[in-house]
Amino acid sequence: MSTEVAHGLPRRRFSIKSVVADGVFFGFLFIVAFLTIFPLSDEQTLDLARNLLIGLVSFLAGAMLSFGLFQAGWTTLGYMIFRRASDVAPGETAKAWFKTFWGFQLFLTLGVFCVVGFQVTEFSFYELLSTDGFEGAKRIFGALSNPEPSVFAPGFLAIIETIFIAFIATMLAIPVAFVISFFCAKNIMGGSPLGLFVYGTLRIFFNIVRSCEPLIWAIIFSVWVGIGPFSGMLALMIHSVASLAKQYSEQIECISEGPVEGIQSTGAGFLQTIWFAVVPQVVLPFVSYTIYRWDINVRMATIIGLVGGGGIGTMLMMYQGQALWNEVGALVVIIAVVVWLMDSASAQIREALK
Amino acid sequence: MTATTGNGNILQIRNLEKTFPNGVKALKGVSFDVKKGEFLVVIGLSGSGKSTMLRCLNRLHDPTGGSVLFHDDDIVKMKGGEVRTLKKRIGMIFQHFNLVDRHSVLSNVLTGALSRTGSMTSILGLWPEADKKRALEYLKLVGIADKAYIRADQLSGGQKQRVAIARSLMQNPEILLADEPVASLDPATCHSVMEYLKKVNRELGITLICNLHFLSLVRQYADRVVALRGGELVYDGSPSAIDGAWFTKIYGEGAREVHVN
Ligand SMILES: Nc1ncnc2c1ncn2[C@@H]1O[C@H](COP(=O)(O)OP(=O)(O)O)[C@@H](O)[C@H]1O
Ligand SMILES: [Mg+2]
Repeated sequence: MSTEVAHGLPRRRFSIKSVVADGVFFGFLFIVAFLTIFPLSDEQTLDLARNLLIGLVSFLAGAMLSFGLFQAGWTTLGYMIFRRASDVAPGETAKAWFKTFWGFQLFLTLGVFCVVGFQVTEFSFYELLSTDGFEGAKRIFGALSNPEPSVFAPGFLAIIETIFIAFIATMLAIPVAFVISFFCAKNIMGGSPLGLFVYGTLRIFFNIVRSCEPLIWAIIFSVWVGIGPFSGMLALMIHSVASLAKQYSEQIECISEGPVEGIQSTGAGFLQTIWFAVVPQVVLPFVSYTIYRWDINVRMATIIGLVGGGGIGTMLMMYQGQALWNEVGALVVIIAVVVWLMDSASAQIREALK
Repeated sequence: MTATTGNGNILQIRNLEKTFPNGVKALKGVSFDVKKGEFLVVIGLSGSGKSTMLRCLNRLHDPTGGSVLFHDDDIVKMKGGEVRTLKKRIGMIFQHFNLVDRHSVLSNVLTGALSRTGSMTSILGLWPEADKKRALEYLKLVGIADKAYIRADQLSGGQKQRVAIARSLMQNPEILLADEPVASLDPATCHSVMEYLKKVNRELGITLICNLHFLSLVRQYADRVVALRGGELVYDGSPSAIDGAWFTKIYGEGAREVHVN
């Protein structure tokens, strides 16, 4: 599907992606206009079918508008985003970008998006600056900056638990991710249709696993194995396997082929080729990613603790529930110090391994 | 040693073809013989199919037609385990050396023994003492025994290529393939590497098939020359017989010979 606008002019090629994008941009504007004119009643808010229909009609109208504008030679935002490098926007290239149609569309869409956003988040300077609100903030910050010393000892034990949850999750994830990463690397698996199938399936599977936040895995596992450090560890492990497998396999995909050919030409077997030609090229980046993952896991383990995954997060949740702000303050200090220490240590190690 | 393929030929290449999955016909039916113990040089423009041909001989590439007799076995028809045995019997060195940079020189040489070492044994690094001794001997043969324990990426280009030669000698090869072994080296180093290849050929009796760019090197080292042009054989004979007319036929109009000293 390609369209020649006029003889001698640069090519403008139609693309589905740009029409879909414009469908969303224009459709959004249509929905906002429609709802401003006809606000939803409480009943209508719950009518899923009707609301979906409004959305779909708006999207289709937007997509048709985009196609029409494309045919008429206008350059829409969607076209601008998804045009190929060889496509030019005729007539628009000479203009200042803010005088173009797509520039206008960008500002209008962003502007309306911001207005709707302020509405939805109930943004209010009044609440932020009211004397009542100020008093509350002063009370909390006061308590936080005056931590309760008796909490330091148990808090310290709790964060050790958190660090170990993160450590074991990372350790258990390493061998699994290591083995899987070779099956997720296109240059290793691309040789045969079966290989490509395994590669594709694993990619999709791990993309789904990774798009589930550890917090959600923690909720699943706390139902499965009960609330506590074990469920938190399992949640982090699953997420770590998926993340490490992706990072490891990307590293495997950019190794140089030379050593592989060199080792293969000696008559080495498959495992030997992996070990002697691939592993030496990826081992340092692997170590670096793994240390970083542990670092990330310590932070995530704190958050997961909030939903009962054990460690210092659980303790934090307990004190917060009882509004014991001085105790919360002590825990915040511990977390800040440990996260900062882990972060700089891992950065130093990763820098040294380069 | 096993009996050779009659009349002293170690390889009989017949109508060898290679068409890549993307449709490029890199070899269009190439036929010639390789005599046991000779130093054969393959010349041709870049893109003429030299690398592809060498890689078909040790099955780094799978040929798509023709036959290559190696001791009465057809290389083209080999499968699985046979291909590994073949690779073991035919060593190869490359333009970019293809060493494992992070490993020591000695462990790079030892990888030449992979095909006769078990997977676990080699992965755990439990190389037999005899192999370690041989690796050091081959390093001595190519003149860099003193570098055995430093990392391969610390070496110069010429030294890396000599390590690669030692690695391939660890295989006990009958044939050594060399794909433009001196193309990334400066002229002085280039002769040193060619001398070592000659030594391997003369002293160890290993048949050499070597792709080269410079005709001056060819005249100096080759026993015999074959030339490829556009995936076809256009010359098979002595290096001294390549005169102006042949030069034009191999390299095309407008090409001029350059010398490496
Ligand atoms: N893996 C490959 N896939 C597709 N085409 C290839 C591949 N390798 C080489 N070719 C093509 O085959 C032809 C011969 O290449 P090559 O054997 O490398 O030539 P030479 O070594 O003489 O320079 C070239 O046209 C090259 O582009
Ligand atoms: Mg080549």
